[in-house]
Amino acid sequence: MPNYKTLAIIKMELHEKLMSKSFISMTIIMPVIMLGIMGMQSLIVLYQGDKGSHVEILTESDSLKAEFQNGFAELDFVKNATYRLGFDTVSRENLKGYIQNKKPELLSHKLNAIIFIPSKALEDKQMEYYSNTPGNITILEKLKDPINEVLIEQYFSTKNLSEKEIIFARKGVNFSHFKVSEKDEMQEQGLGNTIIALVLTFMIYMSLIFSGTMTMQSVQKEKSNKIVEVLLSSVSSRELMTGKIIGVTITSIAQMIIWILPVLALKSTSWFVLPGKMTIDISYGHLIYFLINFLLAVLIYQGLFATVGAIFDNHQDAQTAVMPIIMLLLIPLFIAMSMMRNPNNPLAVISSFVPFATLIVMPARFALVDMPVWQLGISILINIATLSAIFPLAGKIYSVGILRVGKKPTWNEVVRWLKYNY
Amino acid sequence: MHALEIRNLSKSFGSLKAVDDVSFEVHEGSIFGLIGRNGAGKTTTIRMMMNIYMPDSGEVFLRGNRIGPEIKNIVGYLPEERGLYPKMKVLETLLFFAEIKGKKSKDLTKKAKDYLERFDLADRINSKIEELSKGNQQKIQFIISIFHDPEIIMLDEPFSGLDPINTNLLKEIVLENKRQGKIIILSTHLMDFAEKMCDHLAMIDHGRIILHGALSDIKSKYSPKNVSLNYEGDISFLNNHAIIDNISDFGNNTGIRIKEAGQTQELLRLLVEHNIKVKSFVTNDISLQEIFVELAGKHPAEEMNHA
Repeated sequence: MPNYKTLAIIKMELHEKLMSKSFISMTIIMPVIMLGIMGMQSLIVLYQGDKGSHVEILTESDSLKAEFQNGFAELDFVKNATYRLGFDTVSRENLKGYIQNKKPELLSHKLNAIIFIPSKALEDKQMEYYSNTPGNITILEKLKDPINEVLIEQYFSTKNLSEKEIIFARKGVNFSHFKVSEKDEMQEQGLGNTIIALVLTFMIYMSLIFSGTMTMQSVQKEKSNKIVEVLLSSVSSRELMTGKIIGVTITSIAQMIIWILPVLALKSTSWFVLPGKMTIDISYGHLIYFLINFLLAVLIYQGLFATVGAIFDNHQDAQTAVMPIIMLLLIPLFIAMSMMRNPNNPLAVISSFVPFATLIVMPARFALVDMPVWQLGISILINIATLSAIFPLAGKIYSVGILRVGKKPTWNEVVRWLKYNY
Repeated sequence: MHALEIRNLSKSFGSLKAVDDVSFEVHEGSIFGLIGRNGAGKTTTIRMMMNIYMPDSGEVFLRGNRIGPEIKNIVGYLPEERGLYPKMKVLETLLFFAEIKGKKSKDLTKKAKDYLERFDLADRINSKIEELSKGNQQKIQFIISIFHDPEIIMLDEPFSGLDPINTNLLKEIVLENKRQGKIIILSTHLMDFAEKMCDHLAMIDHGRIILHGALSDIKSKYSPKNVSLNYEGDISFLNNHAIIDNISDFGNNTGIRIKEAGQTQELLRLLVEHNIKVKSFVTNDISLQEIFVELAGKHPAEEMNHA
């Protein structure tokens, strides 16, 4: 139970962190940065850079050329002039010469590609694509389906079929996603949960990194400033470390609650109407579990970060030494991301029961997969066990390290500290 | 019963024996000096006395009771290396450090103002620590060590970096606390200060106590055959002279040890004969520094410079 000394330290930590301007700005700025990074990533991936592409479509017959001209006139990217399409006819024998003629334009990228659609394509759909950069799939991705549709239409037009049948033939396949769960009714599930899982995972990761680094720096500063000498003549190193970690934990939890308020709002009010594809299936139980798990995560990682801060008296050494802890956060983050494609992949399932990894992987799994509650219980037990295993060790290293100055200690020495009588 | 009794304290860090079987007593209402070179084991000893370090063996008694964590509430500590929270304001700083000593009341703000007034810092009460000069930060740190009205005051090199006026102010307050019956422990490598202020002392070298007791007893034990001399001229003729045992030159003051107690008159005659202008000639007087050199075999000031 924290005594008045620990409370005084907690109060000071809260005064310094929770009541500070930087808390307010971090709480607002961090999600903005996060969304910025995620948005930027998808923007870059989606950016095709194919605006103003010039493509020529060659057929062997005028009738086929006319079909393509008609079929393509209605396409969005033609109407808004993103693509400039030219149509021409050329026989198989003259193709080589034609391309030879166009070579300067192809090389200078005034013309990006030539697509040759022989009449035989109506039987085997085999076409030819000529370009200076045939590896560029953007143009083909865009034209593939329209070309196929024209071919299908052309093919069936001689087969005496109804419009309805042709429309059917033109269609691709499409799935609706239903989640089969213990609940009686089956719900249609969209991307909503995947996005929420991704966002929550990212929030845990970012929050742990930021608060951890802050704790590490503040411990390390107290050490290099020698404030710790005065502090320890008043409080024990255990009280000091406990106060610090509790202070940071309260700050982090407050921050996390502010962050998940929008999720709560989406869930509990009808202010925002989400499109069917984006519905969120998150219960209050999810959120409570999420916060409990986050609380344990903050405690565990604060312990690690504070310990590293106490070992070193200069910033650079501490920054280097903290890398393994960052990896301990980064690897589970990647595993959690891999679940966005296949929530049941074995790596994710196993790592959701591995100490440290479970803190980040399990909440993501919980949002994506229906899992029995006992598995969450086990995860929490694993975390509590981890916490009780590392805290005595971390406390010991902290108490030795915090007053130690001089030469940078080796890991061997740090292990030896565990045997010191402090 | 002694105010504080340190019994057979030992502490090792790995293979380094920092404090080795250290014992001494601190008397009520006196200033106790713990003196020794840097790295001799002073700070480690002090940390064990404040329950920051657990000794490997040995015990510390406060008025007959073994100390535990509760000693922290009645101790005021000024560490050698000073440090405060740079972003915290002066008043907040004083109140925070009082709070972790278990002191919390409305009067503290008034008390803080009084102390700041005394140290000529009243106008800085709402300044951030980082806005203060180094000397002023040091004054704040000193106030912290006495602000919660501790029974034991431990000062580690309290005067380093202070100007003469503030040094005097500090001395005054230390003596005031002594008169109030506080236990004051002064840890220093500056023999001069120790000699002027301490009533009792313990000398520590390589983790071991090499001397301890009342300053007056120590001096009278080591002073016979010793002359403290202040002069102008060249006394090199005394080197290797038949009646001289040892000469310790401290610049203005020179300590001369003669071989036989009766040879002081002979020494004075030699000085006059060689036209040395004698400014002071005190027999049976010895500085702490000389005693230290004799016991530890090395010049503390020299060690200091090389440290």
